[in-house]
Amino acid sequence: MATRLQPVDAVTIGVGLTGSLAAYEMVQSGLKVVGFERGAARETVPDFQSPTIHDELRYSIRKAFMQDNAKVAVSFRNNSDQTALPIRRWESFLPGQGLGGSFVHWNGQSFRAQVADFVLRSRTIQRYGQKFLDACGPELTIQDWGVTYDELEPYYDRFEYLCGVSGKAGNIKGQIEPGGNPFEAPRSREYPNPPLKEPYFGAIFRKGATSLGYHPYPQPSANLSRPYTNPLGLKLEQCVFCGFCERYACEHYAKASPQTIILPLLLNNPNYELRTSCEVLRINLDSTGKKATGVTYVDGAGREFQQPAEIVFITAFPLNNVRTLLLSGIGKPYDPRTGEGVVGRNYSYQTTGGPTVFMDESININPFMSSGAPGTMIDDFSGDNFDHSNMNPPFIGGQYVGSIMTGGRPIEFHPVPPGTPRWGLEWKRAVARHYNHTILIQQHGTSMSSRLNYLDLDPTYKDAWGQPLLRMTFDFPENDIRMSQHIADKVVEIGRAMGGQTIIRGGTKRPYSVAFYQSTHNAGGAIMGGDPKTSAVNRYLQCWDVPNVFSLGGSAFPQNITYNYSITIGALTLWALDTIKNKYLKSPGPLVHA
Amino acid sequence: MSFRRLGRRGGFHPPYTRPVGRVERSATRLLASAVAVFSLLGAVTLVQAQSTGREPDAKHGAVIAAQGTPAGAPPCAQCHAFNGVSDASGAFPRLAGQSAYYLADQLQEFAAGERTSAPMTPIAKALSPHDIADVSAYYASINAPFLPLKAPDPALVKRGEELAKIGSAERRIQNCDNCHGPEGAGEPPAIPYLAGQYAHYIAFTLQMWQQGYRKNSLDQMGVMAKKLDDQEIAAVAAYYQQVKATLETAQSHRND
Repeated sequence: MATRLQPVDAVTIGVGLTGSLAAYEMVQSGLKVVGFERGAARETVPDFQSPTIHDELRYSIRKAFMQDNAKVAVSFRNNSDQTALPIRRWESFLPGQGLGGSFVHWNGQSFRAQVADFVLRSRTIQRYGQKFLDACGPELTIQDWGVTYDELEPYYDRFEYLCGVSGKAGNIKGQIEPGGNPFEAPRSREYPNPPLKEPYFGAIFRKGATSLGYHPYPQPSANLSRPYTNPLGLKLEQCVFCGFCERYACEHYAKASPQTIILPLLLNNPNYELRTSCEVLRINLDSTGKKATGVTYVDGAGREFQQPAEIVFITAFPLNNVRTLLLSGIGKPYDPRTGEGVVGRNYSYQTTGGPTVFMDESININPFMSSGAPGTMIDDFSGDNFDHSNMNPPFIGGQYVGSIMTGGRPIEFHPVPPGTPRWGLEWKRAVARHYNHTILIQQHGTSMSSRLNYLDLDPTYKDAWGQPLLRMTFDFPENDIRMSQHIADKVVEIGRAMGGQTIIRGGTKRPYSVAFYQSTHNAGGAIMGGDPKTSAVNRYLQCWDVPNVFSLGGSAFPQNITYNYSITIGALTLWALDTIKNKYLKSPGPLVHA
Repeated sequence: MSFRRLGRRGGFHPPYTRPVGRVERSATRLLASAVAVFSLLGAVTLVQAQSTGREPDAKHGAVIAAQGTPAGAPPCAQCHAFNGVSDASGAFPRLAGQSAYYLADQLQEFAAGERTSAPMTPIAKALSPHDIADVSAYYASINAPFLPLKAPDPALVKRGEELAKIGSAERRIQNCDNCHGPEGAGEPPAIPYLAGQYAHYIAFTLQMWQQGYRKNSLDQMGVMAKKLDDQEIAAVAAYYQQVKATLETAQSHRND
């Protein structure tokens, strides 16, 4: 029997990026907040310090910072005719676990989305026509977000300054700035810090891309280029290019993470209580099913508790936000046969994979000296930055292209050209020849939502607490393959212009496989929108059916954008919290009337 | 197969070039061989990047250390000793076994005025680029003993060890070993060892960074030194002086 605890004002399910932001804003408003984290507490000192933190086997290969999938896995299949099986080893995407969540092991690649991203459906129809969109794939279920870029801009700005993003503005209030990204959505002011120094691979990419008439710019980075004090008074330091960023935590206070940008203030606030090793099983509803009464959770000793609360924030990894809604019976689950229901609908992923460019032996790349976001990029092929109307076969969407090498760590990085044996003397010779003379180029971009791709509860497999796993049914829509393959050809040309001797072409292929790394930007499943029939949450990320539950994060994206999505998640969360603070707390109830 | 994987990877993490399912088994061996490749290539090319286009001549470096140069540089041995252990006063840093890249970098920056020192600036200016490469290679190659020194206050050493290995959570001080390597063994080529360095020199240098007189290390050492108070500087200095890294350790981390 669950022990019933004293009520609090609000709880967060998960204490990562969105959970820290939500709790901080709420305690600032005088609310008593409890944060539930299924993993352990951890701090820069001592948990992220050397020599422990630079352990490639532990963190990159055995994935010590990721969700414990011996306890809670995700099951996967490519289509609804197959039987899903649990993912027992994370490879394709890496949901984090532990205080700070995935925002600890991220790379710091800090892009904003584009103006067109937020109005994708209406913009596509306006620019290319309904017929064109149908030709891209009748199964596509792309939607507008219900919020515009202009509405989010102040929150992008706030979040970038919180993180200390290092970059060069390309467009300040409509004025194109030299040195930045000319395709960038207009921003109200310059980045808080100048861009990172450009590594040699970036300089070579810049030269190649420029020679073809493209527009290179320095990748915005939350690995800081100089010491910085954020608006909350927390001090961050300068990235030292240690080469251990993604899948790792920063030992150096140089990467924006909950630990460096907000948590110290939250943890010191008397209105906040952190409970680690606590697995929230479900959100409890009252007899009407229209109001949440709190959550049921199990602590590290296996004891079950009921924590009553006035507001519930679901602030887990996007996939776990969706699972929490499904396990709690909040919102109608999506049914792929009828197309009805909203929870689990419009799950989308991301198209990745660019070419490998093998250079002459005289070109020394030194890839081990790197930050998590040291790239030189072009946005010429991103989103809707180029005219799609003549594309045959037709497609929408796009990818950024750039050389982003985030560390030449020994277990993971040993590029060899096609035809090299996979082991033995010849392989070793090839690694020694190419290790320091190879440049990776990324293609990274949109993935459109489709009525065939969704999330639901697995009928067979259960977690350590006896609850059904989340089941993912996903394959890339044909549209995404066309888009990625079109851009792959262009990128091979860039590789040649860089002086590549051998180039392995990139591009996304089907079927989607969970067996190798692609992207941790799992999106959708509890999407935002203006219509409760086609969205799970309103434009303030409030559940349509249960207005005192808010689902914050990437699960709200109706389809996936070109970019790494953390900065957009931060901005979207601050946008929602602002309205929750200023409107909802004064008068609890639906913020949007359907 | 390996290139198929290489061609398909994400924008957030690096590619896997390995076959899925085999890594756990072979990882240790792979790590060992790959680390060797990694360090060798890394160190060699880094040194080449700033060198004079010829292999450094450590024997000529030894001549400079002993006799100085015709251009007027005095013998290094006068202060740093021929074997690079300097003397027990701690006024002069230990050079023996220090990374050649680091030593050459410091000499160039003394010469350019980026690191200021009344004694070292004219000496470095009197050395040619070849002399700098050679004398750095010479001192880097030496396997020298550690001088017997007076045992420091154990409480001070313990506090220093905490800061060096763990840092301080409440004061947001990260540990020194993050960059300077396990027990201060160094992370060559760019980052010097601290193990066995004289406490007096470590403390003096930290104070120079703290006060803004030394600036030639990004801004990072300045930021770090400003976080430390006098007692903490004395503590880390005392700790590192008595960590007598065996030469085997220093060598295995060097590879230059």
